[in-house]
Amino acid sequence: MTVVYRKQGSVVRWENGTLVRVTESGMAIEDGNLFRCFPFRRAVAQPPLSIRSGGFATALLKVERLIITHGVAHHECDGRTWSDETKRFHMSLVNGGIRALIDREEDVERIADALARAEQSEREAPARLRLAPNVTGALLPSLVESVPPNVDLFQTAGGVDGRGNPIVEARGNWPNWYRPSYRTRPVRMPLNLQLRCDVTAIERDRPVAVALLAPPDGLTLRVLVDEGRRAYPATVRVTRIDAVAGERTWYPYGGGSFGAEMML
Amino acid sequence: MTRFAIATRDELWLRGRLSETRISHGEAIHDESGITATDAPADGLDDALAAASGRDLERMRELVPGDARVRLVAIASTEETSATMTIGIAGLFVVTSPEHAREDEALLRAIVAVEAEGEAVDYRGIPIVWRNGSASVLLHEAAGHPLEHAHEPIAWPPWLDVDVPLRMRRETFRDVPLLRMTRVTARQHDAPFSLPERRIDVLLVNGGLYEPLTETVTLRIAAADYEGRRLPPFEIRESRQAVARALTGAAGDPIRYPGVVCSREGQELIVGSFAPVMITEFR
Repeated sequence: MTVVYRKQGSVVRWENGTLVRVTESGMAIEDGNLFRCFPFRRAVAQPPLSIRSGGFATALLKVERLIITHGVAHHECDGRTWSDETKRFHMSLVNGGIRALIDREEDVERIADALARAEQSEREAPARLRLAPNVTGALLPSLVESVPPNVDLFQTAGGVDGRGNPIVEARGNWPNWYRPSYRTRPVRMPLNLQLRCDVTAIERDRPVAVALLAPPDGLTLRVLVDEGRRAYPATVRVTRIDAVAGERTWYPYGGGSFGAEMML
Repeated sequence: MTRFAIATRDELWLRGRLSETRISHGEAIHDESGITATDAPADGLDDALAAASGRDLERMRELVPGDARVRLVAIASTEETSATMTIGIAGLFVVTSPEHAREDEALLRAIVAVEAEGEAVDYRGIPIVWRNGSASVLLHEAAGHPLEHAHEPIAWPPWLDVDVPLRMRRETFRDVPLLRMTRVTARQHDAPFSLPERRIDVLLVNGGLYEPLTETVTLRIAAADYEGRRLPPFEIRESRQAVARALTGAAGDPIRYPGVVCSREGQELIVGSFAPVMITEFR
């Protein structure tokens, strides 16, 4: 079966002080085992995209990396057409030898506050810990291969996938396609993952892992733990999950992931 | 105002069959307002760049081994041209050029012909002999990246000269140019050299990393021999100062290492890598 996909789009990106505006259009053809892609000349109107940069409450900390993007894209695949608009934010914030990774602008202030108080030396992670939604969002793609028995990990229904098919609720045997660019061969993988647990009550007095200090290594997380009076780096191995809160926030990890506060 | 134009062809071959093929081209205009990039420039495409990348791709296709995983990347831009073949066999790979593809493929085949056995060893306290130019990867991380980050110079052995030209480079027309290495060439001048009987011989490196916050160098060793056996892959992690202190000797002229694809800020660039046989001893 031959699958033909066309995409045209425009993005504005603020990358560490440089404003970049990109317009492109391209075509991808999957023909059996062969994937081909190339630019497909078509007039692309530059939509009125804008980004705001700077003004973050990060006093005493160094902004090592700040990338903000706003893009629109129009897609066509086997007669189906759809459009989307994306906004992304990535910041790495530094205190001494510690780097916090932030992928949602609304998380900056809380993480910057803890990072400014952080000790430089790693400590043992508390036995009972909360994970902030931005941390669990990054963890979910790693849980796919080893879901603990007391939780339900599933793909959230809604929107369309990289072939224009409706994204359906699914558990395993992922039916939808992830295609972040027309240059990338689409792959089946879970999109917009979320995790549910019968226990949703979170004990507020537990220390909280407020930020990732490195991308997850499977189920091992290097995080910034905030105990209130002090904050420090620690390494957490997720072996069991006690509770998952009901409120969820979307993060751009893997094929999309809904982070929710979690209790270990 | 500066204008950058680029044409890229890349292909993935799996066991002699074409699996993926891509064409990419575009232009970036950099002025006081930033970078404006498009794949459809108003003045049309740069046909000479497109033809050059196409010619290089054709040349590489003829050299694709029928039993390997091979990625071909031909780039022609207003700043540089390159033709790169990443040849993978049995999980190991070399990054080479059409000129050296046969020789580097033979090196890779000789390395993968020996299987790892036994336990890993703690490399500390054991002299390491860096063969096949692989010390250039160590110096890429320990000397090259600190230069890119404008880190303070450190003391290197007086017999060692490391030449690392830097310039603004970018992977695609969509990227922001960064100050990057173009090449790492290490030379020794009357260095001490005595081959230790008990030693680790590093043959192939799988990748490396320089952490600018802690000035730590990490190298993933893909193939190394020790006491008559092939070691399982292992990692070396040291500060750049420890790397400089560990260098105890070198011999001969710089040897071309088959390839370093350097990734920074998501932009992958080829960096030529040359170093003599060198010895380190970490304590």
